[in-house]
Amino acid sequence: MKKPTLGAVVREESSLFVALPALVWQLLLFYLPIGFVIGMSISYVPYYTNIFNLLHFKIIGRSLMLALITSILCLACAYPVAYYLALQIKRYKNIWLFFLMLPFWTSFLVLAYAWFFVLDNYGLINMLLMKLHIIKQPLYLLNTPFAVYMVMLYCYVPFMILPIYTVLEKLDKRLLEASRDLGATKWQTWTNVTLPLSYPGIRTGFLLVFVPSFGELAIPVLMGGGRNFYVGNLISYYYLVAQDSMAGAIFTCLSGVVLLVATLFVNWWFARQRV
Amino acid sequence: MITFSFNKSSIPTHWVGFTTQWYEEMIFSVDIISALKTSLIVAGSSVVLSVFMGLCAILYGVRTFVERLLVLFYATLATPDIVIAVGLVSFFAFVSIPLGIVTLIAGHTLLGLGYVMPILQTRFAELDKRYTEASMDLGATYTQTCWHIVLPLMMPAIIAASLIVFVISLDDFLISFFVAGPHAQTLPLYIFATIRAGATPTINALSTVLLGASSLIVLIFALLQVRKKIEVV
Repeated sequence: MKKPTLGAVVREESSLFVALPALVWQLLLFYLPIGFVIGMSISYVPYYTNIFNLLHFKIIGRSLMLALITSILCLACAYPVAYYLALQIKRYKNIWLFFLMLPFWTSFLVLAYAWFFVLDNYGLINMLLMKLHIIKQPLYLLNTPFAVYMVMLYCYVPFMILPIYTVLEKLDKRLLEASRDLGATKWQTWTNVTLPLSYPGIRTGFLLVFVPSFGELAIPVLMGGGRNFYVGNLISYYYLVAQDSMAGAIFTCLSGVVLLVATLFVNWWFARQRV
Repeated sequence: MITFSFNKSSIPTHWVGFTTQWYEEMIFSVDIISALKTSLIVAGSSVVLSVFMGLCAILYGVRTFVERLLVLFYATLATPDIVIAVGLVSFFAFVSIPLGIVTLIAGHTLLGLGYVMPILQTRFAELDKRYTEASMDLGATYTQTCWHIVLPLMMPAIIAASLIVFVISLDDFLISFFVAGPHAQTLPLYIFATIRAGATPTINALSTVLLGASSLIVLIFALLQVRKKIEVV
């Protein structure tokens, strides 16, 4: 048998080298840095016990609230939309989808900016209400928690709609028909058949909204006037303003752990709802 | 509620007076042009890098242990951007890489990989392996098979993945915020800075254009889906 030439060996093993870059990239830029941050935090915790103070927990709590309320609101808005889209509308489904997904593809800074005009003192909402003589003076809408939640809702609703829509669309319609045939009312059909079957979609959507909103930075700053501190805010402050990487790292880990616990809790809660 | 949720694709222009003045100002604004250039360069590079590396990993990883490790890529999507951004910043500081366009590209490619892998992997798994087997039987090397057979078959997924990564990179704010450093600026960063400093109507024009551009991309994407369905049928 011929001894393999060097060229042949290289060609043979090249698959590994060709396939490796992506993996190396991911490991180098994702796992390594995050591990590094975690390791750094753990080793520096004794010097920074003041990180675990009340203020930080209040901020984390505020972000948790933001994420939770946003997710719930998104769910409330998205489910009916996804439901109608998947189960009721026969024609032009794709056109509706196109318009619904448009905010998803647009930079959310542009979206947030658009809301400036809606919520402004002489913007859309106020002009409308004043024309209808419902209010005499413009409502002060910008730079309020209302503005923050509204824009968060608007930006994250597509994330919630998509998974729910996907699940509902793939639903076996015959199950619904069977349920109706067996005498269930529309409400009963929904509660006992559609809803439980859509839990996977709800769970995915919930997580898709909850996790990013927790660390959200741009929308609370822009719409909330930068008065309140959220997790994203604080982290950016630590890193960019105070140049205090250690504190930033530790706080990030702390927030990360809280987020992880919250996510696990959500997962567990949904697992309990298993059909 | 339904109409409310998607009719907010409202165009943010003041109805004080219809004028194209701001559009002209926008086109000639140096800041915007440079931010746009940076955004495009970063987005383009990220797309090329992530799609290329992703393809390599998937196509060639099949023959090595890399295949089983492909799950590692899913973590990017599950982790909040903040954590990724913090990790990147710490890493770059540790290795003393100056923050700028290069780090932007690196970060965005990382993001891109997270989206590319699932898409391409799914499509690759769906492929009928008999084509590749037949090709190899007829004497083609693996590389030739990939180039002539697998790649064309995966084209829809490749295009979809490229579009997604491009848009994600263009719109990305959080990671760019941390990773760009004092010199580089992408379009979202510019918009953010301008809004905080006090918005000008130029931003209105910019927003409208961005909205239009995004719509266009989504339209292309949607049309591709439709074409794919027609092909399959």
